[in-house]
Amino acid sequence: MKIKDFKFLFAGMVCCCLQVVNTFGQASITKANIAFIDYPDFPEGESTWDDIGYSTKFNKVVAGVTNHKDKVALFDYDVATGKMTNNGLMQTLGNLREFQWQAKIHSKIKEGPDGYMYFATDGGESREEYLMDHPAGYAGGFFMKWHPQTKKLVNLGMGLQYESIKDIDIDPESGKLYDISYPQVHFTVYDPAKNTFKDMGRLGSAHVPRVMFTDWWGDCYYVDWRQRLVKYQKSNDSLVFARNSVPAFEGTPGGKIITGITAYAKDQKNGVIYFVTYGAKIVAFYPRKDGIGKMVDLGGVADSAKNIDAWGPYVPNLNIGNNGKLYYIVGGHGNFIIENKTVLMEFDPATKKHTLIYQYPVEELSEATGSDTKDKDGNLYFAGRKDLSSRSIPFLIKFNPGKNVKK
Amino acid sequence: MRFPFIKNFSFAALVFTAAPAFSQYTYFKPKEGFGIEISLSNTELKRMPMYRNSIASLTVTGDNIIGGTSANEKMAPYIFVASLSKRELVQLKDVNDVFPGQRSVQSGFFKTKDNTLYAGTIANKINDTTNGNGHLLQINVDAAGTIKVADLGIPVNGEGVFTITGNINTNTIYGITYPSGLFFTYSIKSKIFKSYRNVMPDAGDLNSVKGEFHQQPETYLCNALIVDDKGLVYGSKAINKLFYFDPANDSFHILADLPEEWGRRSLGRVESWVKSADGTLYGGNGGDGQLFQVDPATKQVKNLGKPIMMNRLRGMCFGADGKLYGLAGAVPGYAHLFSYDAKQEGFTDMGNPQFILKAPGIEDGIEWRGFQLRSIAASEDGKYIVMGEDEALSQLLIFPVGK
Repeated sequence: MKIKDFKFLFAGMVCCCLQVVNTFGQASITKANIAFIDYPDFPEGESTWDDIGYSTKFNKVVAGVTNHKDKVALFDYDVATGKMTNNGLMQTLGNLREFQWQAKIHSKIKEGPDGYMYFATDGGESREEYLMDHPAGYAGGFFMKWHPQTKKLVNLGMGLQYESIKDIDIDPESGKLYDISYPQVHFTVYDPAKNTFKDMGRLGSAHVPRVMFTDWWGDCYYVDWRQRLVKYQKSNDSLVFARNSVPAFEGTPGGKIITGITAYAKDQKNGVIYFVTYGAKIVAFYPRKDGIGKMVDLGGVADSAKNIDAWGPYVPNLNIGNNGKLYYIVGGHGNFIIENKTVLMEFDPATKKHTLIYQYPVEELSEATGSDTKDKDGNLYFAGRKDLSSRSIPFLIKFNPGKNVKK
Repeated sequence: MRFPFIKNFSFAALVFTAAPAFSQYTYFKPKEGFGIEISLSNTELKRMPMYRNSIASLTVTGDNIIGGTSANEKMAPYIFVASLSKRELVQLKDVNDVFPGQRSVQSGFFKTKDNTLYAGTIANKINDTTNGNGHLLQINVDAAGTIKVADLGIPVNGEGVFTITGNINTNTIYGITYPSGLFFTYSIKSKIFKSYRNVMPDAGDLNSVKGEFHQQPETYLCNALIVDDKGLVYGSKAINKLFYFDPANDSFHILADLPEEWGRRSLGRVESWVKSADGTLYGGNGGDGQLFQVDPATKQVKNLGKPIMMNRLRGMCFGADGKLYGLAGAVPGYAHLFSYDAKQEGFTDMGNPQFILKAPGIEDGIEWRGFQLRSIAASEDGKYIVMGEDEALSQLLIFPVGK
């Protein structure tokens, strides 16, 4: 019923090929601003899960595509040539044995100070979580790094035994990796240079928030079960808890609160990190070197409307354009604001204005993930997928609000 | 079809906590079960801060849930009181305020007939004042939950208190020290400690458990003692032996081997005990996780089997429904709540409990899943089972049993 409300809300705003007046370099955003790029030579590929990142050093977008069972193929998209390459299976390149099976990469893929792209692996929930002490059970998630030029994959070893790794981030100074485990929500710090691994303990409840992020100093942020920011402050190797929860709509259910942050995008020039919560809030966060910085509630991810749960829309992705505006795709995981349609949204933090750019049936785009993935030319990237009747098909989304894009 | 199905389904099950359709997504979720938030860092609420709240000792007196915690190294533990009816933490006592340098209250509680509690502490390894001395504590909690702690002294110089029990008829406390594993007694009336080296591991034992199997005192010392209806005190000693102590003549006797899994006898030790209404003793083997039974009259030991695949059996109690409830499993796996009904059901593995936790600021309630559970106790009428977590931020999980 509420989905229909959204449908009516947006029906007047959009048409099948909406054009939006754009104040950044061209008159409007059209389909020419967006490209869907296929992943070749991996017909089993079914999905991508936040596992996308950009190499500033080699001008490549890197993504991991999975069959959501036991194969993950590493792809890179060369921005300069427009070539998408299948670099082989992570399991093979990483020297994993059969009993070390992995279902996907769920973490972001993050460039490290050595130019490698870092990520971690995930067991894929049911088979992982409930067969943990079984001979065919899950060994645990691995840290890995892949070099976009040499194509070399280095297996950095496991995190916590039996636990998946849902997300990582990296301190660009020290190269230390932060990670969050599944399902026990443990925040850990791994130093590949010294092979030291520190478990900082459980931070969550019955659900694992999927996203962590770092500030410009290399400190890392996550949330506790009250959706309060928790900062790993590397200067004293400790966790700092925010006093208050991140902004939430009145009435946001507990199940949404404990689910945390879904995506972020950084604007270092202006000292702000934008993030989206599972309760559909956009927040401007101004990190401080010491302690927790201030948060500014920018409102919801879509215009409010009567009879619509403001906390309902699902946004597992976020990017920021060179124009300072936020871009994200609303919908996914069975949770859409327009029935069976995803929408590409623009949000101007300065005016708090939402602009619906485009909507897609789930047969074209059913969900997109990825945070803060932008190349040197201002192109924004999302890890997308579409749902067909028999399967899901992943693809890379390239979007530039200021100019047409090429595949 | 597989992906969209799984995708939508797992989302519903995990996020919206809708009724699960996959059997593996069920948890132990009685609708009357609830959590009490007792740990939270940086808050105005009465809570324990991070790394000082692993709920190692637990008992219930009237409406008061009373706990003792373990802290990380160089940090101090708490004694706390939570209200069963109010579902909130009501009192906290920082053990550092009683005497500094302690790390853990993990001995379990001995409760006398007048509801006075006794517990022991383990000191921090690095401290200028304690020299590794653990203390025996007397703890009084009034109806309002006010906590008074008195220091009864140091059982053995340089040693902490690993576990205690007591005899409510003679008001005598029995314990095991840490890290050496001496057996000690304390007379509440005469205030006299006595210690015995009879069950501490000898050089040969240590060569095996430490040298060959790389175990530490935490994993080879007897973690629980119990007194039978005749006043005999039961425990374990390396390697894999059950013993009893006869206070009538201060003698120690080897009872039997602990039940063992082939090749793992070096890990055998008693991790928990509970006594049934008919006086039968039920023990948990930490090494392999077997539940076993001791008939105090015949001294016969019966292996009742393992409730789950993993090892560890960290705690047990009896509910008002007559069933034994226990905690099996631990890191690197999960704790499973299980029940054992000797007459009808045998073992039932309930897995992780997941209850609603409400508190100021989260009035709507969030689901709290107990992964690592360390302690368990029944209310005095047996109608509530209380479980304490073993986490960096630990909470209480409670559910009713019986009619």
